[in-house]
Amino acid sequence: MASAVQTVSDVTIEEMMADPYPVFDRVRDIGSAVWLDCAAIHLVTRFDDIMTVERNHAVFASTNPKSLMNKVMGHSLMRKDDEAHRNERMAVEPSFRPGIVKTEWRPVFEEIADDLIDAFADRGEADLFDSFAAPMASRALSALLGFEGVAWQDLARWSQALMDGVGNYHADPEIDARAREASEGIDAAIEAVLGKHRAERNATILSSMAHAEHPHSIDQIRANIKVIVGGGLNEPRDSILTTVLGLLQNDDQRRQAEANPKLFAKAFEEAVRWVSPIGMYPRRVACDTTLGDTVLKEGDQLGICVGAANRDPSRFDGANDFDINRPKVQHLGFGAGPHFCAGTWVARQMVGEVAVPKLFRRLPGLVLKGDPPPVERGWVFRGPVSLPVRWTVGG
Amino acid sequence: MIRFTFVKPDGAEVAVEAEAGTSVMQAALDNGVDGITAECNGSAACATCHAFFDPEIVDQLADMSEHEDDMLDFAAVERRPESRLSCQVPVCDVLAERKVTLPDAQ
Ligand code: HEM
Ligand code: FES
Repeated sequence: MASAVQTVSDVTIEEMMADPYPVFDRVRDIGSAVWLDCAAIHLVTRFDDIMTVERNHAVFASTNPKSLMNKVMGHSLMRKDDEAHRNERMAVEPSFRPGIVKTEWRPVFEEIADDLIDAFADRGEADLFDSFAAPMASRALSALLGFEGVAWQDLARWSQALMDGVGNYHADPEIDARAREASEGIDAAIEAVLGKHRAERNATILSSMAHAEHPHSIDQIRANIKVIVGGGLNEPRDSILTTVLGLLQNDDQRRQAEANPKLFAKAFEEAVRWVSPIGMYPRRVACDTTLGDTVLKEGDQLGICVGAANRDPSRFDGANDFDINRPKVQHLGFGAGPHFCAGTWVARQMVGEVAVPKLFRRLPGLVLKGDPPPVERGWVFRGPVSLPVRWTVGG
Repeated sequence: MIRFTFVKPDGAEVAVEAEAGTSVMQAALDNGVDGITAECNGSAACATCHAFFDPEIVDQLADMSEHEDDMLDFAAVERRPESRLSCQVPVCDVLAERKVTLPDAQ
């Protein structure tokens, strides 16, 4: 017999930000959907329940009249279902195809990574967050979009401002103002290059949108570029850092990868499972239903916790450990279903094939600095916010 | 309903019946046939629903898009001329009484 939703009310947002995994474990034991007071959302944490959600998007919808995302970014493909979603998704696909990523984008990623490492390689120490991962992700995204002359710091700031705007449930006017500034900055960056991408077919996302079978309108272009700016920057950044952290904390695995660089791709995949950069994404219950052992009502807002499902002990042995040698099984770090991450192959190439192997190759004797220690934060989005390392110079 | 058979990586055969129009990937999942992972649940984005079709009929299945063609190059087991992403192939009459073979890895 399915039962009503239970509540967890003794957890604070600060506790979730610091380390959500103990709460995820608790919630997973309680039920299929559990109301978390501090976040005002029903958490879904079990692997099998998330698969049920992703296979029934008529019942568990992405469209959402209450979504702040639509207000901040415009109505993007992430908040559409069925044919409206499919047409926009197919329009951007050519830029994201694994073959295109390998032939067109990999050389771009290589150049950015080398350029960044050149700037600090002789220093012997760095915080990889701001010296490498953030500019790597931002410059790569700028190239993918087809932007020109946009500083990586501006794109990174816009990305954060949009994400903050989407989470601004208390309508803080300052957060709203920053999100608006970001939105205007992005509109201007699009305007500056759209004519060029309309005139020529190339691998960039703007060009794909302009030349699709169902070409994007200017409103669709703006909304979908914003969703990609908001959602295509912090995840590769965070997964670069998490992959490096996992390898530096597990010396045997690091040595295995250095001896066989193909394993860096596995290390990336394991990092996305271990500390999923998108830990939670929303869905809306479209009609009264039951999910697993829990009764849900039309309009209920669900937080799909792939970060929790990726540590579901019924699915993964030693789920809390970083282990590049675990048997290949499906994880949910890229989601599942119709909204499965469009940027999966971009991230695999950028992080697992280029950025991380290059760091280990070019910074001999790379180790965690130890003091200060690395810091991880977040639950909706999670990753290291600081990764101080040192390595051997000269010799 | 159209009847066809999955051949699993270990050689075991599973006969299934599926409605015309459902994808071959969906038919495998509905019948509990392992050997298809389908990480993206049919969005043509993951290449973990790779299958080998009967070479005699592979040309008569729904056309392959440029996107599927690109994605197939990145399947875990090397593609062959009779390879398709099974989420992109709707069940249809030409499949009747034919075999769909699943690769060793997805
Ligand atoms: C390790 C890196 C990444 C991770 C873990 C990740 C994760 C995800 C997840 C979980 C979703 C599903 C969200 C939902 O269903 O609501 C998603 C969707 C999406 N991602 Fe990623 N992502 C990554 C990198 C990227 C990159 C680099 C880009 C673009 C350059 C990108 C573009 C997108 C887009 C456009 C969607 C929406 C797809 C749709 O609605 O059809 N992602 N991503
Ligand atoms: S199920 Fe992902 S490509 Fe077919």
